[in-house]
Amino acid sequence: MSTQQTAGRGAGTAPRPAGGPNGRRPARESFADRLAARLGSNSLIGLFGKLVFLGVVNGMGLYAVSTLLPARAWTPLAVVLIATIAIDVVYLSKRTLPLKFLIPGTIALLVFQVYPVLYTAYIGFTNYGTGNVLTQEQAVGRILATSTRVPEDATRFRSTPLVDDADGTLALLLTDPDGDVFLGTEAGLEPLTDADVAGEGRDITVRERFRPLTLGEAQQREDEVLAFSVPITDADAADLEEGAAADAITVQTFTTAAVSVTALEYDEGTGTILDTTTGLVYEPVMGTYTAEDGSTLRPGFRDVVGFTNYQQVLTSPAIRGPFLRVFVWTFAFAFLSMLTTFVMGLALAMALNDPRIKGRRFTRSLLIIPYALPSFMTALIWRGLLNQSFGPINRMFDWSVPWLSSQAFAGALPKFSILLVNLWLGFGYMFLINTGALQAIPSDLTEAARVDGASGWQAFRNVTLPLLLVAVGPLLIASFAFNFNNFNVVYLLTGGGPPIGGTPTPAGHTDILISYSYRLAFESGRGQDFGLAAAVSSIIFVLVAVFSYIGFKRTAVLEEIN
Amino acid sequence: MTSWRKWLAVVPTAALVLTACGGTEQAAEEPTDEPTAEEPAEPVEEEPAEEEPAEEEPAEGDEGEEIARADADLVIWADDTRAPILEPLAEEFGQAEGISVAVQEVPFDQIRDLVSVQGPAGQGPDVFIGAHDWLGELAENGVVEPLDLGGAEGEYLDVAVQAFNYDGTNYGLPYSIENIALVRNTELAPEPAETLEDMVEVGLAAVEAGDADLPVAWQQDPGDPFHNYWVVTGAGGYVFGQDDAGSYDADDVGIDSEGGLRAAEIFGELADQGVVNSDVTYDVMIDTFGSGRAPFAITGPWALGDFGDVDFEVEPLPQVDGNDPGPFVGVQGVMVSAFAENSLAATTFVLDYLGQEEVQLELYEAGGRPPALVSAFESVQDDPVIAGFGAAGETGRPMPAIPEMGAVWEAWTAAYQNIFSGNDPEAAFQEAADQIRTAIDAG
Repeated sequence: MSTQQTAGRGAGTAPRPAGGPNGRRPARESFADRLAARLGSNSLIGLFGKLVFLGVVNGMGLYAVSTLLPARAWTPLAVVLIATIAIDVVYLSKRTLPLKFLIPGTIALLVFQVYPVLYTAYIGFTNYGTGNVLTQEQAVGRILATSTRVPEDATRFRSTPLVDDADGTLALLLTDPDGDVFLGTEAGLEPLTDADVAGEGRDITVRERFRPLTLGEAQQREDEVLAFSVPITDADAADLEEGAAADAITVQTFTTAAVSVTALEYDEGTGTILDTTTGLVYEPVMGTYTAEDGSTLRPGFRDVVGFTNYQQVLTSPAIRGPFLRVFVWTFAFAFLSMLTTFVMGLALAMALNDPRIKGRRFTRSLLIIPYALPSFMTALIWRGLLNQSFGPINRMFDWSVPWLSSQAFAGALPKFSILLVNLWLGFGYMFLINTGALQAIPSDLTEAARVDGASGWQAFRNVTLPLLLVAVGPLLIASFAFNFNNFNVVYLLTGGGPPIGGTPTPAGHTDILISYSYRLAFESGRGQDFGLAAAVSSIIFVLVAVFSYIGFKRTAVLEEIN
Repeated sequence: MTSWRKWLAVVPTAALVLTACGGTEQAAEEPTDEPTAEEPAEPVEEEPAEEEPAEEEPAEGDEGEEIARADADLVIWADDTRAPILEPLAEEFGQAEGISVAVQEVPFDQIRDLVSVQGPAGQGPDVFIGAHDWLGELAENGVVEPLDLGGAEGEYLDVAVQAFNYDGTNYGLPYSIENIALVRNTELAPEPAETLEDMVEVGLAAVEAGDADLPVAWQQDPGDPFHNYWVVTGAGGYVFGQDDAGSYDADDVGIDSEGGLRAAEIFGELADQGVVNSDVTYDVMIDTFGSGRAPFAITGPWALGDFGDVDFEVEPLPQVDGNDPGPFVGVQGVMVSAFAENSLAATTFVLDYLGQEEVQLELYEAGGRPPALVSAFESVQDDPVIAGFGAAGETGRPMPAIPEMGAVWEAWTAAYQNIFSGNDPEAAFQEAADQIRTAIDAG
């Protein structure tokens, strides 16, 4: 920006600060100009502009750091730091200055493409999903927190948390269902008489020592209050008619307390959890605390599980069953979608490229409409149009064609419908790029071919098409890759259906890999399975990458021919 | 200056890669159709390099939107109908207890995921309103706090208490129930339908006479286990076995039980008669019944607002094979996050405050669903619509909250679709049951 635009002016007023043949700079150059040159600018104004720019960059970087640091968002923090430092280094040294053309694109590439791919690959090696969303530390905390249970038929008390203002000691004023009043302290349970309690409601005092805690105060000392428990002796338990397992009275809410039992203990040394009632030891295995007899504790935690997800995709009979059919149809769908939209787009572009046609601009604008509308809306509209009993298309012709639900011939009709709708959605884009590419082909080439006696078809086949393919070839590959993952159309139009009969997992005739893996990961089994979804996504990514690579190789060959 | 064009090219490419590799969920919202896949690494102008790193923040990857936790001691998340009612109540509670309270409006369908994702990161609510069938996932994830109703269980409808009981532990305070019922157009069908056969007969006669387009406006598209479950239970089938406390057992799949197969047979007959088919979407159901072109609709309270000026009655679902049908019942309730910053205040607010009858009645007035507290439920029985849905729900079963239910929807939907396309009904249910067992074993 600044440096380029001021270059001319800088060259006019001051000599370009490049060294002479012997490396000596002209002596009349001022210190400021030398400094500017050293920092890679051609003039003071350029330097000033650059400093303002860097100031803004660093300011924004600092702001981002100040918000990310408290949030403990380490990855974004590292990205911001590295990016800011990289920009500073590049701009403050003349040697590295040319890199400025690369750096924004590189950062965007890393953040938007490399990071998601790596992160997805990483998730593919974990068990992240329903039941395993917490970190190990959080999971242990939850397991222990829920292990304090109130047994059925346990005595429940009306309770008021109390505090001794002198030393901050906590206590509970407890009233059992029979109306007997107790004071619960860390030492145990003591019966109270009327003489011990003075006042009422919020102004109550117990033994002239304790007063009620307000909820606001309780919140300040929340951990203490929640952890506060009144141990009960066997004699107390017998009085309260509790079972032998009862061991403490704990706070349930601000106004209730109950006799509870704690069953689990965490062993810091071995990292295992011990069930004190059964003696079972739970060890962390693949993200779940599991005992020798196979029983487990809930919740599990996120853990790296190696190739389990990949193994499941490739070997589980439940998944492998329909996988091949889906795989083949995915290729057919992507290739045919690409081909049909290209042929139709090209035909229309050729037709509208003919100067004899009137109102070309207007027609062109109309043709782009399907492409301009969001596909998730139009796909749903098409779903309505193609409805067998109520769809306008069947009603108009008084047909009863099961456009989206016929199971005959491996769902040939729904497959056809999906290709048709995708043609409608996609030809506008192909029309657009073909129009552009056609206008770039000099018309004298085709004219020369015609003069040489070639027919219209021959001229198109041997001159226009090869030249066109050089330009649009990469876009055709992109279109193939896009349709390979065209979740919208499939999911919204048919939901993958109609169902294929006799498969071990639900699969539909029009399911492509991405919609099928969506079913597997989010709509079947036990809730969501991000790990499995990421594994399938990684496999699809590799497939698309391989086919795109092969495709690009082939278009490169095409280019050499020309 | 063409640099902004280049940016336009980079963005959809990035989006494509994100959808291809990252959360597949995002794909549903992905609006671009054919991306202009240009070279992504193209050099761009200097300025915009700064913003992107900060935007990468959602480390969990999949949830598009984040809702920041409000800055208050007690934060409550509720959807747009309940938030305004909770607001003054929460305010009152906060003032009485000397703490600051905030009620945040969060779209209902986002609350569950956000609690799972943002809760552990300390950005979730303390208290949230939700449906009981979220419980399985929330409890398995360890993000919801067990709630001890403290002996108040008897004050709530049995189905509501059962619903919030997951694996022997209670996790929420129920406040309303909802279920489907038979909605009858009093003009086309003057008499209540006592049995399934009655309903079909009246419906088919109305279509025959040209008074109706559909014998029953019965949502399928392409199959709807939720709207069909009453027939299954009426025929003696069930989805998962239940123990005495009402907890569902994932190892006991009842879709291909004797009663389940009888239900399949009934659906085969209904499909032959043209009573059910895959083409009736929610919109078609609303359209046909709302324009007076169907004598019956099988739907829930959520649809009534769209029925226009049709005169209708809400009644219990007709009997199947002489048995009372049991539709799925959904229960809404208030839950406490396991990562509540202030769980003492949260549980106190939920148990001591929201359990009161007046609060339940106020929530009822906003939501128009039968309250879960028995005393409140009884006091609203003079509203015939609520009484109708309440009566229909009395024989209902809580929708299973176990995560294995995820496997059921898919497979069972496909089974209904197979039946409606003319395949063997019993084989379809058998296959669905097998698929569900496979999915559960694999998970």
